[in-house]
Amino acid sequence: MEHDVPTSIRICHLYPRLLSVAGDRGNLLAITKRCDWRGIRSIITEADVGEVPDFTEFDLILLHGGQDCEMRVAARDLAMKAGSLREAIEAGAVVLAVCAGYQLLGKYYAPADAPPITGIGVLDAVTEGGSTRFMGHIVVGCDLGQGEQRRLVGFENHSGRTHLGPGAFPLGQVIAGSGNNGKDGTEGARYREVYATYLHGPVLPKNPWLTDHLISMALLHRYQDVRRLDSLTPLEDQTEAKAHAAALRLARPPIARWQAAMAARFRPRRAGSLPTRAESDLEPADKGMAMTSR
Amino acid sequence: MRKVAGPGTSREQSAATEARSGRAPALLAERLRFPLALAAGKGSGATGRLLNIGGGTSLPGAIARRIDPLVLQKVAKASKAHKAVITGSNGKTTTCRMLAALARAAGTSVAQNRSGSNLLQGVTSVAVREADLRGRMDAGLLLLEVDEATMARVAPEVAPDMVLITNVFRDQLDRFGELYSMARMLEAAIEALPDRASVVLNGDDPLVASFAPHAQARRLYFGLRAEGVGAEIPEHAADSIRCVHCQHALTYRRAYLSHLGDYECPGCGSRRPDLDIAVTDVQALPDGGTDITAETPAGTVQVRVPLPGLHNVYNAAAALAGAFALGGLEPENARSALAGLRPAFGRLEEITADGRRVVLSFVKNPASYNATLRLIMRRPGPKHVLAAHSNTVVDGEDFAWLWDVDLEQLVPDLASLVVSGTRAEEVALRMKYAGANPSDIRVMPRRQAALNAALAGIPSDEPLYILAGYTPMREFRQIMQRRGWVQPFWEE
Repeated sequence: MEHDVPTSIRICHLYPRLLSVAGDRGNLLAITKRCDWRGIRSIITEADVGEVPDFTEFDLILLHGGQDCEMRVAARDLAMKAGSLREAIEAGAVVLAVCAGYQLLGKYYAPADAPPITGIGVLDAVTEGGSTRFMGHIVVGCDLGQGEQRRLVGFENHSGRTHLGPGAFPLGQVIAGSGNNGKDGTEGARYREVYATYLHGPVLPKNPWLTDHLISMALLHRYQDVRRLDSLTPLEDQTEAKAHAAALRLARPPIARWQAAMAARFRPRRAGSLPTRAESDLEPADKGMAMTSR
Repeated sequence: MRKVAGPGTSREQSAATEARSGRAPALLAERLRFPLALAAGKGSGATGRLLNIGGGTSLPGAIARRIDPLVLQKVAKASKAHKAVITGSNGKTTTCRMLAALARAAGTSVAQNRSGSNLLQGVTSVAVREADLRGRMDAGLLLLEVDEATMARVAPEVAPDMVLITNVFRDQLDRFGELYSMARMLEAAIEALPDRASVVLNGDDPLVASFAPHAQARRLYFGLRAEGVGAEIPEHAADSIRCVHCQHALTYRRAYLSHLGDYECPGCGSRRPDLDIAVTDVQALPDGGTDITAETPAGTVQVRVPLPGLHNVYNAAAALAGAFALGGLEPENARSALAGLRPAFGRLEEITADGRRVVLSFVKNPASYNATLRLIMRRPGPKHVLAAHSNTVVDGEDFAWLWDVDLEQLVPDLASLVVSGTRAEEVALRMKYAGANPSDIRVMPRRQAALNAALAGIPSDEPLYILAGYTPMREFRQIMQRRGWVQPFWEE
């Protein structure tokens, strides 16, 4: 009644084709679906190389991962977009930046065997190329001011080592995996409403709490009115919760995973308990024999 | 003659004697190592088949390599056979089967790894199986399907006469790190080829066509130059559609399949190379087969392949190019050569399951998944689907690419859905965001239970489509094999 015009958020998907590895478009899908299920409209604008939109017109900006060669193209182009993008960020627009997108918001990325790529320096972060890749499942503990630590799960795949300066906070602390640089235990970066991370997966579908946080911040940015957050009704998130739990299990170190698997396999069977996987996956080979012998 | 000498020299002498007396058995063992490796490998292969464990496809290689790490290299060197290696992201298995059929039609005997066991041990297994105990092979052509990541190790050992690269798609990034590091690996393998060897490349793939431009080997390009198929703009999942030289976005005169097509770079003017083997006409047949006309240096070739889809047109073009490179392309024989081909196991394989129909499909990346979805969507009727993925060494750990598959087009036609495998939860989540109702998604990680549940309640005239990664696909096949619905794959 109080809002005649349907609630909506304006999303800018930056470089949808250039920076689009590892299923990161799933992040956009997660945001739009979770808006859709609540009757919130999402208006999507794609901004590719050569296009210079007014970023202050958007509430939520997505900037995803890419390989070094595509990142170089994006960096050249982003320099032209930087002014407006910086202005939008200072005004509180929400940004999700993943992997190469994260590095591009920092000061620079210096690959081991190629000239450095200059970022736009919104984040107080520098990245150096490493000789090995951090590749695997990762769990991060985050506190985004919700009063409790939430877990972020995903898959990291990067050779860059990022170090944060005093002007940026980490997005969270690594519980399992490598994170920013594999040394200081931090993962990702935050500045105003910029959320930068190395997590693919894609990160949002399996972490609906973060998706909803981004949507709520985007709503606040758009309407500057906490009552608008009423439209953020709780959703039935069983499928998400199961995928989240599965990702948590995968991120455990292999030994722990093996121990857990062995424990499950050789646990003495109680009456009425489920058969173990080894048994149920085997075909009863001689049903007929059993019948006749009875 | 021995003289008694001072303590110092005596110690040296006894050490030398020890070495001499030890050397004879060591030499003997060294000489026996190779035949022993072959014998042990062969024995384990026979035992594996006898006991019905696995396909018996990688164990012989593993054992033989354990005894003699150089076993593959030695067999390859001893044999007079032509050695051809096929690699790339998609179409390796089918291209291999087609090339083998063409070679046989031209009277050449072929030894090949048939069952998609294309890592180092699987490749070694073929050599062990085909060679006699002295390491010699009868076959005229040793045809190897090799995983892209394994190329760096296989190529130097095999020293191939021909390397064929089907295409490069974004295939499980977590195995390679980056597409380009894998590309560099393949380039290194091409650069190592001598000038008498050939390299056969997909000219329609911008990245593959650019590989190792200064390599010594003879270069042949295959591709499509056909009207009436493909599209004006590349589809969504297209990757690497930037110019490899200047990073400018490529434009396409015709895009046939994902990023494969007739491209040009507005930035630096580079364009698709002239094709040596060009498919000029494609006719889809009502029975699911395809008639293909190709221009080759050996003349116009017409082939009928009993397989649907543009990806199989590419496979056929690759096989024709490979046969030409090996000097065995005979246009008259080619037509009938491919007619008898059956789909490789798990490639839209039609299975009769106790009066029901199962269509088994192996999907491993957005391109192969989308190609399969297109073929399935073309078939009439509601879609009963069993979708499964597992995290294994072969299948990788990262299933983010599922979010690049256009599953949205499947969901409106879904009649029932079971998800399975060790990553069943991930598949369920993807299906939910593709539009499936979560209460309609049955999550059953165990393969056997999932197959039973998926088959139960399906009307007998409606097929069950199984869309699965490599490991679950093999597991489903093994379950169906135990039930007598399919033949074991090594007997194909």
